[in-house]
Amino acid sequence: MNGVLVVLEALGDDLAAISRELLGKGRQLADALGGSLAALAIGPTKAIAARAGNFGADQVYTIDAPALRQYTTDGYVAAAIAAVKAFQPALILAGASFQMRDFGAALATDLGAGLVVDATNIQVVDGALQVTRPSHGGNVINTYRFAAGTTVVALVRKQSFPEAAAQPDRSAPITELTVAELTPRTEVLSVAPKAGAVNLTDAAIIVTGGRGLGNKENYYRLIPPLAEALGGAYGASRAIVDDGWVPYEHQVGQTGKTVSPKLYIAAGVSGAIQHLAGMRTSRTIVAINKDPEAPIFRIATLGVVGDVNEILPLLTEEIKARLNR
Amino acid sequence: MHIVVCLKQVPRDNSVKIRPDLTIDAEGIEKIINLFDEYALEEGIRWNEQHGGKVTALSIGTSDWVEQLRRALAMGATDALLLSDPAFTQLDPITAARVAAAAVRKLGDVDLVITGRNSTDDESGAFAPALARLLGWPQVTYVGKVLELQPGGMLKVERHLESVIETVACRLPAVMSVIKDINEPRYPSLLKIKRVAKVEPPVWTAADLGLNATDLTPTAQLVERVPPPPRPKGEIIDGPDAATKVRKLVDKLLEYQVI
Repeated sequence: MNGVLVVLEALGDDLAAISRELLGKGRQLADALGGSLAALAIGPTKAIAARAGNFGADQVYTIDAPALRQYTTDGYVAAAIAAVKAFQPALILAGASFQMRDFGAALATDLGAGLVVDATNIQVVDGALQVTRPSHGGNVINTYRFAAGTTVVALVRKQSFPEAAAQPDRSAPITELTVAELTPRTEVLSVAPKAGAVNLTDAAIIVTGGRGLGNKENYYRLIPPLAEALGGAYGASRAIVDDGWVPYEHQVGQTGKTVSPKLYIAAGVSGAIQHLAGMRTSRTIVAINKDPEAPIFRIATLGVVGDVNEILPLLTEEIKARLNR
Repeated sequence: MHIVVCLKQVPRDNSVKIRPDLTIDAEGIEKIINLFDEYALEEGIRWNEQHGGKVTALSIGTSDWVEQLRRALAMGATDALLLSDPAFTQLDPITAARVAAAAVRKLGDVDLVITGRNSTDDESGAFAPALARLLGWPQVTYVGKVLELQPGGMLKVERHLESVIETVACRLPAVMSVIKDINEPRYPSLLKIKRVAKVEPPVWTAADLGLNATDLTPTAQLVERVPPPPRPKGEIIDGPDAATKVRKLVDKLLEYQVI
């Protein structure tokens, strides 16, 4: 019991970036544990199973059945347990999307395994797994140690580890597993794309507006155009979502989305602790606010003291000119 | 129909400190019902107001937490139940689910458990799935809309995921976790708060629930708990006018290769 099992996710007809991250880290951890690295492709993900070998897996398992065409907790947990029986991993790695949280917590409970959600670091220390995760809006960083012999399910936060590099000459044997009598108790009746879905969590650049903009009209006149000029997405503070300026989908913070883009521009956002909880790990933070004492400046990489209604139109024009957009 | 709503006690904000023994110090921060759990409670109450039955507000906490359970009663819960025991402190989500599962089993006639998608302090969202598995019930998580709920029958919901909406159905009993889009929780009126001010909800201990020390032992050992590394000191961009500041800002963004 010393291997690492990665649960694969597909994006179109390729491995999702998170899966390449997990294979990279999984390879390193399997070596440290003295075990091998396996990947599991459930249902339609089977199409990209072979790719796992290119990215470091020693062994790939696939499980497909009509009941696995769509995600259900029962179906995915049963599939994962079949792979766990075949491979006996010490560590099971998956992403930390809503679906993977639904799955990973159920799997850990069924296995009596340890569970860490939003893992940002995983190490082998004296032969035992140590997993780090933030809590309390990123104000507390916790590291848990699991006794050797305990299976651990770790759901990894995106962009925690470098993606594995492709090794086109490398491949891994594929073993097809089966699950007997699979009858998920939940039935997926339809899956529809979210209208106006805002994938803030995946955006590399986010421009967020707050109450300092004055009103809803100013928000829409200034924030989306700047986000568009930068090729980014636009977010909102809780205050203006609660006031009905912007839909909840856009909310960044403790009760909204947690984001970690390479560039986060906070315009007219004072920086309440609940807001900082959702964006404090962004690589570069720009704060624009007329109040030099606003808490947002304490975590900003770059700060501009001034009126957002004056600064933002100039910034959008300057960016368009400099980036030739 | 009997709906149980699980409410977690959380600090109003996360400006907590870490004690030398690695426990969380939230002294001086008001303790409130986890925001997402208020939506769960509202959803249970609304169904109950239309169709009748029972809505039990269930929470794990110390005796001072009774006040927030009274708030749940003032909002419209018909019953409240406190699970309290010195052994129930600092529970991980799966262990907390084990405690709640024992209570749901002891209640006996529960059709649906509703809770928030996650707590704002732990943020894992593991409680609802763990509870469902321990009870052996189906789970529907991240629910933004209930389309159908028939006593003894079917639960049909919309699950609002990052970029898709799934319509999913299952039979009761089941466990459901809800997101903020599902409703707008009410504020209890002063009159209702007064009416429940002296209610003493029943308190069940580990022994009442038939839980022993092994049931409550976490799988993980906390070995380190620290504040996040400080961010590098920032820089204020100055200039005689807005245009100069903007130009300097864009220079920096290009230099940092973030645009």
